[in-house]
Amino acid sequence: MGIKLKQNVLEILKTLQEKDVECDASELAKEINLDYIILMSAVNDLDKENLGGFKEKYIDYLYLTEEGLNYLKKGLPSRQLINYLVKNKIKEISIAELKDKSELPDKPFYRAIQNLRRNKWIATSKATGENKVFMVADDFPNKELEVFLKTFKKKPFYDKSKLSKKEAELIEILNKRNLIQREKKTQRLIFLTPEGKKIDIRKIEILKEVSKITSEMLISGKWKNINLKPFNVSISGPRMHAGKIHPLINIINEIREIFLSMGFTEIKGPIVESAFFNFDALFQPQDHPAREMQDTFYLNNPKQSKLPEKERVEAVKATHENGGDCGSIGWGYDWSYDIAKKVVLRTHTTATTCRRLAQFYREKEKPPVKVFSIDKVFRNERLDHSHLAEFMQIEGIVIDENVTLCDLRGLLTEFYRKMGFPKIITRPSFFPYTEPSLEIAVYYEKLGEWLEMGGSGIFRPEVTYPWGIKDPTRVLAWGLGLERLVMLKYGREDIRDLYRNPIKWLREVSY
Amino acid sequence: MVKGGILLTGGIKMPTLELKVERLERLVGKKLNIKDLEYDLQWIGLDLESIDEKENKIKVEYSPNRPDFSSPEGIARTLKGYYELELGAPTYKVSPGSLEINVDPIVNKVRPYIVGGIIRNIDLDEDEVATLMNIQEDLHWALGRDRKKVAIGVHDLDKIIPPYLYTAVKPDSCKFRALQLERFELTPAEILEEHPKGIKYAHILEGKEVYPIIFDKNNEVISFPPIINGILTMVTDETKNLFIDITGTDFRAINYTLNILSTTLADMGAKIESVKVNYNEDGKQITTPDLNLMKWTVSKKYINDYVGVNLSETEMIKCFQKVRFNAKPSKEKGMVDIWVPAYRVDIMHAVDFVEECAIGYGYFNLPTTIQEGCIGEFHPFQELCNLIRKIMIGAQYLEVVNFMLTNSERHYNFMKREYVLKDHIQILNPKSKELDTTRTQLLPGLMENLLYNRSEEKPIKIFEVGEIIELDLSTETGARQNLHLAAVTYHENSNFTEIRSLLDHLTISLGINEKIKVTPTDSPTYIEGRVGKISYNGESIGIIGEINPEVILNFNLEFPVAALEMDINKLLGKQLI
Repeated sequence: MGIKLKQNVLEILKTLQEKDVECDASELAKEINLDYIILMSAVNDLDKENLGGFKEKYIDYLYLTEEGLNYLKKGLPSRQLINYLVKNKIKEISIAELKDKSELPDKPFYRAIQNLRRNKWIATSKATGENKVFMVADDFPNKELEVFLKTFKKKPFYDKSKLSKKEAELIEILNKRNLIQREKKTQRLIFLTPEGKKIDIRKIEILKEVSKITSEMLISGKWKNINLKPFNVSISGPRMHAGKIHPLINIINEIREIFLSMGFTEIKGPIVESAFFNFDALFQPQDHPAREMQDTFYLNNPKQSKLPEKERVEAVKATHENGGDCGSIGWGYDWSYDIAKKVVLRTHTTATTCRRLAQFYREKEKPPVKVFSIDKVFRNERLDHSHLAEFMQIEGIVIDENVTLCDLRGLLTEFYRKMGFPKIITRPSFFPYTEPSLEIAVYYEKLGEWLEMGGSGIFRPEVTYPWGIKDPTRVLAWGLGLERLVMLKYGREDIRDLYRNPIKWLREVSY
Repeated sequence: MVKGGILLTGGIKMPTLELKVERLERLVGKKLNIKDLEYDLQWIGLDLESIDEKENKIKVEYSPNRPDFSSPEGIARTLKGYYELELGAPTYKVSPGSLEINVDPIVNKVRPYIVGGIIRNIDLDEDEVATLMNIQEDLHWALGRDRKKVAIGVHDLDKIIPPYLYTAVKPDSCKFRALQLERFELTPAEILEEHPKGIKYAHILEGKEVYPIIFDKNNEVISFPPIINGILTMVTDETKNLFIDITGTDFRAINYTLNILSTTLADMGAKIESVKVNYNEDGKQITTPDLNLMKWTVSKKYINDYVGVNLSETEMIKCFQKVRFNAKPSKEKGMVDIWVPAYRVDIMHAVDFVEECAIGYGYFNLPTTIQEGCIGEFHPFQELCNLIRKIMIGAQYLEVVNFMLTNSERHYNFMKREYVLKDHIQILNPKSKELDTTRTQLLPGLMENLLYNRSEEKPIKIFEVGEIIELDLSTETGARQNLHLAAVTYHENSNFTEIRSLLDHLTISLGINEKIKVTPTDSPTYIEGRVGKISYNGESIGIIGEINPEVILNFNLEFPVAALEMDINKLLGKQLI
C-alpha cells in the first residue's frame, strides 16, 4: 500500500516508537532539538496516515502560596518556634510572650504549639498560674512534612496527576494550611496509534517533500521542482512572549490624550509634600481628622519642609484664623507654622494643583489655564484585595474668568463622554476645599449600574484668594481614582494584581 | 473600593445613618416609597449606602460638614423643604429659664468654654433613645474631634440643685462615683487610670495641672468633662427633664453642638429652656441655646453668575426656602437677605449660598455649558517615558509597574546594598510595618516580580519606567524625584552580552549612542568583572551587569539574571522634581 513519509517525520516516528509512551510536545521538541512547529506539523502528517496524533490534556500544577514560600525560607511555624527557643536557650516561656516574639498569626501559632506537643518536644502547663511552654526534648529531627516542603526548593511545582500516594497526603496537609495554590495548564501529548506502534519503519518510503524553502533553492531555481508540504493553517502557533505596555499605563495614556484633546496641559508635583500644600493651602483645618497619622503617611526623615514666601503663608494663615480678605469667617483657631511644615507623602494630587495656583500667582499669569495630572497618591492603609496604600489619582482644573457651575457640569459631561460614559449624573456632595461640590456617578453599561466615579467642585475662595485668584476668576476642579476603572475594564477582583504584575495576565491581556 | 469621591475628601470616613422609612414618613408627614426615596435623597446631598426593601430601611452616608444630618429628624427637616411641604427656616421656641452656670476663670488653663440647655417633657421611644445616643457619638466625632474640642454631657435635671459651678480642680482633690464604674469613689486622677473612658480619653488632659469639673450647689460632682459624668445625674426611664452641658476649647463649636442637639430633641416633641452662663472673669453673661437665625446679605448677581443661571428674585428666594432658609428681597439693591437656622454649621462664606441655591434649584435642572480655549501640552518627562516604553516593547520586554513604597530589608539587604537609615526617606507611622521607606531603585521591584512569576514560562524579560525618591534636604520638601528605567532578563542563558545589546538598542534608538560609555565598575549587587558603569556625556547615570548569585538566591530564583538600571532624567538635562 506504500505509506510515504518525509525524512524528519520518519525520524520522529522512530523516536516515538523507541519511547513507547505518550510524551509532552514541548518537552519532546526540546529533547530532540527540533522546532516546536516542525514537530507539530510532523505529528499532523502522522495523523493523516493514521499512525499517530496529539491530544490536549489539562494538568493541575501545584505551587506554594506566598505564605508557603515564606515558610520554605523560614521553616514551618513549629520549626520557627523551636529554632527561637533553642537559639535563645529558653527552657520555659509564657505562651503569650512566645506568641509575641514569634510574630505568627493566631491560627498557625496555635497549630504549631499543638504539633510540638504531639511531637513531645514541648509540654504546656498552667501550673505556675500562667499558661507556659516547657522544653522537654533535646533533639528535634526534621519531620516528614518539613522534608517534603524543602523539595520545593529544587522544583517549584508538582504535577497533581503524578503525585505518589504519600506526596498527595502531604500536599493535602499543606493545602489545608493554605500553603498550596494550583494552576491549570494545557499540555499537548503526542501518541502513536496501534498501527503507528507496530509499523516497520524500514518499509516506509521516504517522501521528498520539503517544508522549508532554502536560499539555495530560490537562487538555483530548484524550488520549481519541489513538493512543498502544505501546512495546517487552522492550528494556532505557540504563544509568543512579546513586549507589551502595562494595562495601567495604557489607560493612563488614553486619559492623557482625552485631556490633551480638551486643551489641558500635563503637570507634575512633588510626592514628598509639605502639610502646607497638602492640607493648609486647601483650607483643611489643622485639627481635621483627615490630617491624622492614621490616615496620612508622615515622614520621620525629612522631618520639616520650608514654607513658601512669607506673605502668602500669612494669607493662608489668615483665612484659617478669620477668613482673611476673602469674605469668609474662617475656622477661628490659632494656626501653627510647625504643623504646616510637617512632611507627608501627598494624600492627593490636589496638592500639586494647589502648587499650580501658586505658580499662577508668582508668574502673574492670565486666565484661562487648564491643567491636569495623573499621578501617585498615598494613604496609610493596610493592603488587602480592595485597599492600596498608594494609587493613581486623575485630576483636572480650569482657572478662568466667569466660569460657572454649569460650565463645570458641561466639562464633566464632555470628559466622561470621552472616557466612554455617555450617561452621567452630577449630584450635591461635600469636599473640604470646594463649594459648590458635586459627585459624579456614571452609568456603567456592562454592569447596568450607576457607579460613583469622581468628585468635583469649584475651589473655595479661602483656597484661591491667598494666590490672588479672586472672583469672577474661579477654579473648577475634578478628580477620580484610576484603579477602579482599570479593575472594571479588565475584570480583576484583587486590586493588588495591578501592581503585583502577574506575568501571565500581562502577557495575555487584551487592551 | 477606591471611590473617586472619597479621594477628594482626603480620606475621611463618611458617617452613616440608618433610616426607617416609616419613621421618616411620620416625621415628614407624607407617604414615602422606598424607591422614590432612594432617588430623592441624593439631591439633598446624601449618599446611598444600602437599601433594604424587606425591612423598609435605607442606610445613607452624610457629609461631615452637615452634622445636622446625624438624625432622621434632621434629614426630615430638609426633605420637607425638598417636597415643598414646608418652606423657609423651621422655628424653635426657647423658653427663658432661670438655671445658672458660673464659670471659674481657672478653666482657661484646661478647657475654657461651657454652654448648657434644658430640655423638658421628654418622652422618647426606643428609636428616639437610639438616635440620641447616635447623634452624641456623631457630634463628638464631627464637631468634637473625639471630645477634644467638644464634649457633651446629658443629665437628669431633677437630681441636681442649681446653680452649677464649672471649675477646674487638682487631679486628686475630690472624689465621686462615675458612670459605668459605680462601686468606687474615685478621684479624677484615678478615673484616668482605671475607668475605661478615662483610659480612652486621658490623652486630652495630658500634662494639665488641673482637670475640669462641674459641681452643683451642694458641691456634688455632676460631670468630669470630657471624660465621664457622675452617677448622680444618671438618665433613667423615669427621667422627664434633661440638663445638657457642652464643654470645649472652641466656643463656636460647642454652641453648634448644643443647637443641633436641642433642635433634634425639640423635633422629638420636647420643650427647650435656656440656661444662663456667667463668665465671671469679664462679667459677661450669655444665654444658651441661642437658636436665633443668622442673617446674611448676598448679591443676587453673584449667585446667578457663579451658578451660571439667571434666576429671578422670586425663583431664587424659593430655592433658599426649599433648603430651609428664610429669604427676602433686601433693602439693598440687587441683594437678598437670607436667614440661616442655628443648626447649620457649614455656612462660612457667601459662596456657601451658591451651592444651597443650586441644591434648591436642583442640580439635575442645571444646563451644561462649556468654555473653550487653551492649547494642551504633555509633560516632557511623560513623553520621554512613553518613547522609552515604545523602544523597550520593540525589544520584546514586558512592562511592569511596581509600588513606590517598599521595605528597607528587601530593598537593600536582599540586594547586598548598604543601608544607612539617616540617608533615606523614613515613614513615621506605617500601618503595614512592611512599608517603611520609598524606593531609590527600580531593580529590587523587578527582582520581586521575577520571584512572584518564577514558575512562568521563560525567558522572562521585564522593564519598568518610573519615579524614585531620594532624600535631598536642600529642596523645599527635603526630597527629590528622579525618573529611572530598569530592565531584567531571566532565563537559562541570560548574560551580560544580552543586556548590553538591549542598552545599545535603546541608546541607538534614542540617538544618544555616541554619548554613552560603559566602563568597568564594582557593585555588590552584581558579579565582579561583569558589571559596568553607564555614563552619559561623562556623567554616571546607571549600571549594567549580571546579578550576583547571592542576590539571585535571596529572591529564591534559579536562573542567572542580567540587568540594567539608569537615571533617564539626565537625558533631558533637567531635574524632574
